[in-house]
Amino acid sequence: MEGIVATGLIGVSLGAQYALLALGFTLIFGILGVVNFAHGGFYVLGGYLAYSAVTYLGVPYALAVIAAALGTTALGYLFERFVLDRLIDDHLATLMLTLGLYLMMSSGLLVLFGPQSPAFSFPLSGVLRAHGFYVPIENLVVLVVCLVGILSIYALIYHTDFGRALRALADDRAVATAQGLRPKLLFPTAFALATGLAGLTGALVTPILSLAPHVGDPVLATSFLIVILGGLGSIGGATVAAFIVGMVEAFSAVYLGGSKGALALFVLVLIMLVVRPSGLFGHRVRGA
Amino acid sequence: MEITRRNLLLAGAAIGASSAVSRPSALAAGAELKLGVVGVLSGPAAQWGLALKGAAEFVAAEANRDGLVKIDGAPCQVSVVAIDSKYTAEGAAAAANTLAGQGVKFIIGPIGSPELTGLKPMAKRNSMLVMGNGYAKDALGPQWPLVFHVGPGPSGWADPIIKIAKQKFGIKSVVLVAPNDQGGTDIASVDADAYKKNGIAATEEYYQRGTTNFAPIVTRIMNAKPAAVDLASSPPGDAGIMVKQLRQAGFEGPIGRLGGPGYSEISRVAGGDAVLKDFYWYEPVLVDEKVHLIADEYKKLFGTERPENNLFFQWVSGARMVVKAITKAGTVTDTEKVAQALRALPVNDPNIGSGHWIGQDFFGINQELSFPFGVGLVTNGQLQPVVPVEAATGK
Repeated sequence: MEGIVATGLIGVSLGAQYALLALGFTLIFGILGVVNFAHGGFYVLGGYLAYSAVTYLGVPYALAVIAAALGTTALGYLFERFVLDRLIDDHLATLMLTLGLYLMMSSGLLVLFGPQSPAFSFPLSGVLRAHGFYVPIENLVVLVVCLVGILSIYALIYHTDFGRALRALADDRAVATAQGLRPKLLFPTAFALATGLAGLTGALVTPILSLAPHVGDPVLATSFLIVILGGLGSIGGATVAAFIVGMVEAFSAVYLGGSKGALALFVLVLIMLVVRPSGLFGHRVRGA
Repeated sequence: MEITRRNLLLAGAAIGASSAVSRPSALAAGAELKLGVVGVLSGPAAQWGLALKGAAEFVAAEANRDGLVKIDGAPCQVSVVAIDSKYTAEGAAAAANTLAGQGVKFIIGPIGSPELTGLKPMAKRNSMLVMGNGYAKDALGPQWPLVFHVGPGPSGWADPIIKIAKQKFGIKSVVLVAPNDQGGTDIASVDADAYKKNGIAATEEYYQRGTTNFAPIVTRIMNAKPAAVDLASSPPGDAGIMVKQLRQAGFEGPIGRLGGPGYSEISRVAGGDAVLKDFYWYEPVLVDEKVHLIADEYKKLFGTERPENNLFFQWVSGARMVVKAITKAGTVTDTEKVAQALRALPVNDPNIGSGHWIGQDFFGINQELSFPFGVGLVTNGQLQPVVPVEAATGK
């Protein structure tokens, strides 16, 4: 029983991190119709911004996390406004642009910081232990911040005029624009929000795992998998799918082993795509 | 001058004549030896490749300065052509193909098993001599007579390290963890056999390469209640996270890494030597004052510090052996003859020491350089001096 509880805790922790990442990814697809291949790059950049703020500027970690989120938000805004926006309806062009941005980011970080992981650790250490299971305090803090982040995104999207405007643009851009909504203002803001989420997750998670220029690759792959499972563009679907992936990953790795665990996850996604091609909460292929 | 057909013909004839005159002088300067370097020069493992490239360039510069390579009594200019293999089989195969197109007959590198697997068929087809690395079980073999190993794989060094670790920490059981591809399974399985031969119960656990959070794997390891954990050839970044998460999970036993160097990065990612607590690993080169002289020479020749990774020294010894064999064979084109000369050379390096050719028992061919090496140790959270170990013999 302790083993199941301990594994469940790992699954929830993984799921919360994945959800924060996948929300940004699905927001960009749902609203802009863009598959953002630079998503993992913003995650890594968030980590390096926080690391640089702590190491070179002596900024407290909490402020460094905020600075990293703001930095990635600003870069996301500028990229969408001045680069992506011109070709927003050309799916192939946006794919190449975001992929190019990712390669530039990861290569730039490699040149600046080198290939090895720097010393970047979470300011809180220690482990809570009870009845055969344990929770590192750093994981607990990250879990709480991730849950607050997820709830904030929900509140923003479903309970504010800004969120309603974004959802209207996602539903039918032509009608929403005719109603007076301004994609030129809202698209960069939505993109910035998503990249800020990726940067926030990177700043939170890389100190408890590791920071290196290439750690964005698996992040992109996991985000993609979750968003496909949940339904492309669906915020609820991405959240539920993130926790499903976290749980499947934890339980399958603990009880089947690392290799079979990874296989179990992909088999699950394959079955889902066969049974329900639009994903858990997907309604239709986006018509943008 | 007016451009006319007559003037153009005269100019063409003049250029042709000057080429014909200059050719004998180029031949008089002696043959040219091109050392190909195939290694990972970008991405997360770039540091390994830069160490390899730096070593080849150092050996070439050293040979040119001291006139070490002579063919038919004439000095031979040594140059290096380096190509990024991107740490992939296809990248290494493409690199070998490009080098073959440039007339390169000698390759220093590659580093990893997947690269070596991809490169070997291309090298064999073009009769190229390879001084490579890679700990795969089939890295060498009688079917690859021109492929040599710059240093032993785990079949050479795992046993003496395990004996030291067993004596130091009293290990009775171990779980080996590595990525589930050839770069992981081939090393972990050989390490596991070596543990078993030393009376230590060993089980293997594999994970998908690209895993970032090892908490589930750590929970699985903890359920097995091993006395020790060996991270085998897990990349240093992964190994650092696993060490940290193992300690958070309450694992108190020693942790080994019988897969290669990387202690500094593992310690950094894990959170310092205090988190490592009891840790042991394979150091390919015993870096002493004599070995440091190579770094001094490098600075004199290039005006910069040598590449950071200690594999640099191992590659220097391997490239020097190839250059010595070429000089002894007296050819820069006949790789069969150079290979024969290389096999007959005593394993000796002016800085690294003396060793042996090994590999007959494990690979079926005695083409693995074995120099003295070291065992790195952290005990009770304190870094200890590297334990020197004689060059592995007889395997």
